[in-house]
Amino acid sequence: MTVLGEFALWLALPLAIWGGVLGFVGGRTQRGELILSAERSVYGIFFLLLLASAGVVAAFLGDKFQYWYVASYSNRELETFYKVAGLWAGQRGSLLFWALLLSFFASVCVWLNRKKNREFMPYVVGVLQAITVFFVVVLLFAKVNPFERLPFTPANGQGLNPQLQNYWMTIHPPTLYLGFTSFTIPFAFAIAALLNGRLDARWIVLTRRWTLLSWLFLSVGIVLGMRWAYEELGWGGYWFWDPVENASLLPWLTATAFLHSIQIQEHRGMLKVWNMSLVVLTFLLTVFATFLTRSGLIESVHSFAENTRIAIIFLAFLGSVTAFALVLVLYRLPSLRSENRIESFFSREAAFLFNNLILLGAAFTVMWGTLFPLISEAVTGEKVSVGPPFFNRVNIPIGLALLALAGIGPVIAWRRASRRNLKKNFFWPALVGLGVGAILWAIGARHPMALLTWALGAFVLTIVGVEFWKGTRARARIEGEGYAPAFYHLVTRNRRRWGGYIVHVGIVVIFMGLAGAAYNQDVRKFMEPGDTVQVRSPFGEQYTLTYQGISSSVGRGQRNLLWQAVALVDVAVDGKAAGTLTTEKRQYVTSQQLMTEVGIRSTPWEDLYVILSAVDNVEGVLRNDPGAQAVTLQVLIKPLVGWIWYGGLVLVFGSLIALWPSVERNRPAEQETTDVPAVVSA
Amino acid sequence: MTTLIGALLVAVAVVIFVLQPVVKGIQASMGRTDDELTDTEARKRVALLALRDVEYDYLAGKLDDADYHSLKAELTAEALAALRADEEARARVSGTAFPGDEELEAEIARVREGLRAGVVCVVCGFENETGSRFCSSCGQKLGPPATNTARQHA
Repeated sequence: MTVLGEFALWLALPLAIWGGVLGFVGGRTQRGELILSAERSVYGIFFLLLLASAGVVAAFLGDKFQYWYVASYSNRELETFYKVAGLWAGQRGSLLFWALLLSFFASVCVWLNRKKNREFMPYVVGVLQAITVFFVVVLLFAKVNPFERLPFTPANGQGLNPQLQNYWMTIHPPTLYLGFTSFTIPFAFAIAALLNGRLDARWIVLTRRWTLLSWLFLSVGIVLGMRWAYEELGWGGYWFWDPVENASLLPWLTATAFLHSIQIQEHRGMLKVWNMSLVVLTFLLTVFATFLTRSGLIESVHSFAENTRIAIIFLAFLGSVTAFALVLVLYRLPSLRSENRIESFFSREAAFLFNNLILLGAAFTVMWGTLFPLISEAVTGEKVSVGPPFFNRVNIPIGLALLALAGIGPVIAWRRASRRNLKKNFFWPALVGLGVGAILWAIGARHPMALLTWALGAFVLTIVGVEFWKGTRARARIEGEGYAPAFYHLVTRNRRRWGGYIVHVGIVVIFMGLAGAAYNQDVRKFMEPGDTVQVRSPFGEQYTLTYQGISSSVGRGQRNLLWQAVALVDVAVDGKAAGTLTTEKRQYVTSQQLMTEVGIRSTPWEDLYVILSAVDNVEGVLRNDPGAQAVTLQVLIKPLVGWIWYGGLVLVFGSLIALWPSVERNRPAEQETTDVPAVVSA
Repeated sequence: MTTLIGALLVAVAVVIFVLQPVVKGIQASMGRTDDELTDTEARKRVALLALRDVEYDYLAGKLDDADYHSLKAELTAEALAALRADEEARARVSGTAFPGDEELEAEIARVREGLRAGVVCVVCGFENETGSRFCSSCGQKLGPPATNTARQHA
């Protein structure tokens, strides 16, 4: 099976080249048989890459340690679950996985468009296959072939990094990769539009669902990554501005900008060059993220660096895509002229434009901070990292500005908003925001940024709430429906708009959760069994933690575990017993470092987070010596941290509403216009 | 040996599948389907969407009367231009006669006049702009819009 997989990977190269060339030639000459052959090559590539991936998984499941990749990322003791996940555990497998997902989305795209959008498809296929060629070339020739054999067969593999042995870790990377790869489809359509000259909003209409799907996967991937860091990395946080975290955030920021700015092109025929630039930039950033994660360019907890040849190939690819897109845009510049211009700074167009500038600003600062160690090394010879303080200082104000726009954008009028319009729509929400701020101030919240976040959050939530209310009321009146059916029809008739508002709610909830970090409590204490530590939460609860003792189990060898020491901590809230938390130290066969498992007690308002920071006498604990039970515990209170996950769920819900196929699409064009005012509809 | 046969089968299957259209001359579908929009249709759709947005914003109470009327007049003119461009394009394709400039001008004039004249609601007396299907104040269904009939003459 594995040999067959390797063969399939080799066969994929000529096939992808064939498909790429025929796609472009077929598009140019409009010869149907060439186009069909190119399209079939897309399905062929998917089949071959599926075989190749199955080959890798088979090698993992069969403990075939003669393969370098399997020997480096697995061993006999690894659970089956993680052996399957071995496909994306390291650089080599991830690159194959990337190509597989790309070919999957390419196949879906070709299948969906087999009978429509025919003037786009040949070029779309050409672009997709060209990108596939790049990834297959990297896999085969950049010393990252997952099928590379060792000169000998080791008795056992080196095993998987224990931090990756977490269930979030098995779904977080694939989700992100789904987001990265699916964004290739809008990119391919954009390039196809530049090539075939159909530069109206059509490529955007054709791909907006893809863009949203990709954005959803990216968002979910990022939130899952935060969740993994929170549960598994054991330092009490969820975001460290680590290069790889940043790398996933960058395309998310530009994709978010793109999702907003395409609406201006759809509605007003503006920002055409800008949208082209954003789609190209986002695609480049998805490739950059893959490259950053898997090249070892910048040291990071995620980067399992292997070689630098791949860095050069990746940079060359990024450079050529940029140059190619730039030339095409310049060539088509006359057709990319704006059909309108922005009439006022107080208009929805302007709000979208500000949103774009801010998102791009955020992307730029994150990029700068991420690459700063490299830049400083090149200039001064010394690697200087900028830490979370830099990112926080710069990005918190940016985030707040975005939050404000999330409220302003949906209600400000298109074209130009009059003073009366602004007053009418913003007076009450602003009052609610100020009121919430004042109440929080009165009950003792003093952190300026957190206070501002919650006040702005209340402002946005009020606006969205009022929007839903006004929309429902208007519909109930017009159609003479009850409020419930009116609400249902309101949302289903314009899913994108209302789904988008729900996404805004999700983002607000996430932001409010992030702001809770301003009130984190952090206590560290050296404790003997029976000792207690007290922590007061910002919500007023008094947590009393009593350390019970620690017990170890040694040498089970199962799941690669050498030993594991579990500390028991009784929790009481305001004097009432509230269960027991455990926190552990683990020594794995496969890692020198001690791993920490934290204990978390979640409520909707706050998490109690207990970390076994240090074991005083490891030897004693391993003997389960009753006299050697002293440990250092770190106790954190994390207010509102759960809101990040709840907000993530709301975001998914809203995106799904927006993504759901609308009834409108299946209606004949004539009927569609009955939605619009009768003045021009007949 | 089985691996070799497997590899051979995979290679032959894929090559036949991909080369078949070229060798046998099987064509990909090249035409347009009915649900695809042409350039002018797309532009028309954008213009109509903008009108729908304004209508919605007004009904939801986000625009006041003055803003609504000025925006709507502007958008109506744009939508008519888009409609006209679309009809022109259609006429080119089907080879049928296209309503002349004069007729269109007349139609736009009628619409403008209608906008100025307005329609008074029989229930609450609110003065709606022509073309409203429902009273913007009380929601009462209004009579058949004048411009609908106007367009049928065009």
